[in-house]
Amino acid sequence: MLAERFHSGPLFVQRPFYPEQQVCHTYLLHPPGGIVGGDELRFEVTSAADSAALLTTPAAAKYYRSGGLLARQIVNLQIGDRAALEWLPQESILFEGAHMHSTLKVRLAKHSRFIGWDTICLGRPACNEAFGTGNGLFEVRIDRQGRPLLLERFQANGESANAGWGLRGMPILASLWAYPLSRPELPLIQSVLEQQDLWGCTLLGDLLVCRGIGAKAGAMRHVLISLWEAIRPIVCGRKACPPRIWAT
Amino acid sequence: MELYRLHLLQLTSPSLPIGLYSYSQGMEKAVEDGWLKDERAVTDWLAGLLDCCMARTDAPILGRLYDAWVEANESAVAHWSDDLLAFRETDELRAEDRRAGLALMRLLSAMESSRAKTWSCHQSTCLATAFSLAGVERRIPKAELIAGYLWSWLEHQVVCAVKLVPLGQTAGQRLLARLLPRIVGALDQALRLDDAEIGGSSPAWALASSRHETQYCRLFRS
Repeated sequence: MLAERFHSGPLFVQRPFYPEQQVCHTYLLHPPGGIVGGDELRFEVTSAADSAALLTTPAAAKYYRSGGLLARQIVNLQIGDRAALEWLPQESILFEGAHMHSTLKVRLAKHSRFIGWDTICLGRPACNEAFGTGNGLFEVRIDRQGRPLLLERFQANGESANAGWGLRGMPILASLWAYPLSRPELPLIQSVLEQQDLWGCTLLGDLLVCRGIGAKAGAMRHVLISLWEAIRPIVCGRKACPPRIWAT
Repeated sequence: MELYRLHLLQLTSPSLPIGLYSYSQGMEKAVEDGWLKDERAVTDWLAGLLDCCMARTDAPILGRLYDAWVEANESAVAHWSDDLLAFRETDELRAEDRRAGLALMRLLSAMESSRAKTWSCHQSTCLATAFSLAGVERRIPKAELIAGYLWSWLEHQVVCAVKLVPLGQTAGQRLLARLLPRIVGALDQALRLDDAEIGGSSPAWALASSRHETQYCRLFRS
């Protein structure tokens, strides 16, 4: 259950739903939708021991062209022992000229359970808008009991968007993380990605990391949801129950 | 002539028995997927990995490991080694780094480094952990040691490209010579970074290396 909520500014925690009894489905709303230079969006989530929650957003976060100021998104997820937290936001869209820095920190206890994903869309390919002058810095840190399991720091800009070693001209980068997973469970996840030429997965100790690049947001989302459907029974012991808001 | 220069040559020689020849760091899959078709594509790939990953992750952390050994601060050695391993994006890249690091630690230990002994079975040991200890014990200056580490990485990747793409031996040497000046730039950048600025990830590298784990027919272990 949702024990406490606090918001300041135009970012709200909506009243939760319980479509599958035990799991608290919570929507995080940012009615303006767009984030401009100088804005800071901060999510501080603490899940108590033995709790179960799924957090999502009803719409993509749009980062508009900046006149120079930095837009900041900070997400801190602290997951208690034996708690299960799912962090499944919709994608972040960086408009041409956006200037942003996103930090995702996940702190796990020994027996925490976690599924999270993140989708970055550079420019608006549907409107033929490329991403030449914008820049986005994406940091990810996943710790367990204070030791780092995964560190990432990706600088998205016109060069890395097009480079062979970067996004290879694909406007979308998606990542999914899940903890804990064990080696015998990996082939099932690999089989979900079998037909996907631009996706891969790897198991870092007990942490599963899936990554993909692509051209179409809908197709990327479809792969993420297929992965989530395969992973959720393993990690959370529950069948996938997609939040209603995803259907709208 | 300073003796340390010769020690650095020994440490960066491809004949150092730590098994690097068996790893391609995902290049084998990148070639199979048609990402590295020719000399030009390989040049862009390696230049990008050098500037955006090695110069921002390995090089500055190697410098901090060097300082930690100089100060005999072994908890800092463990901290930076853990961070470097956590920046490795895939299981294969981590396994490679651990195996090479432990192999070099054992070698140093057999060459009478007392500190190497306790680190030859430590869970945090990676290649940079051992390489920095070897450098400190042989009085190799920090900047030269980092340059040697980057050179060794680059040379090995070029050898992989020659075998896999494949490229001619001459093309390989031309490619290496063309990329060398970037090591100087990478080194300058690495020495200037603050702790909070450390880290550079490459989505394509992570993808190629993850996909290498399930590559049907392969010669290399990474």
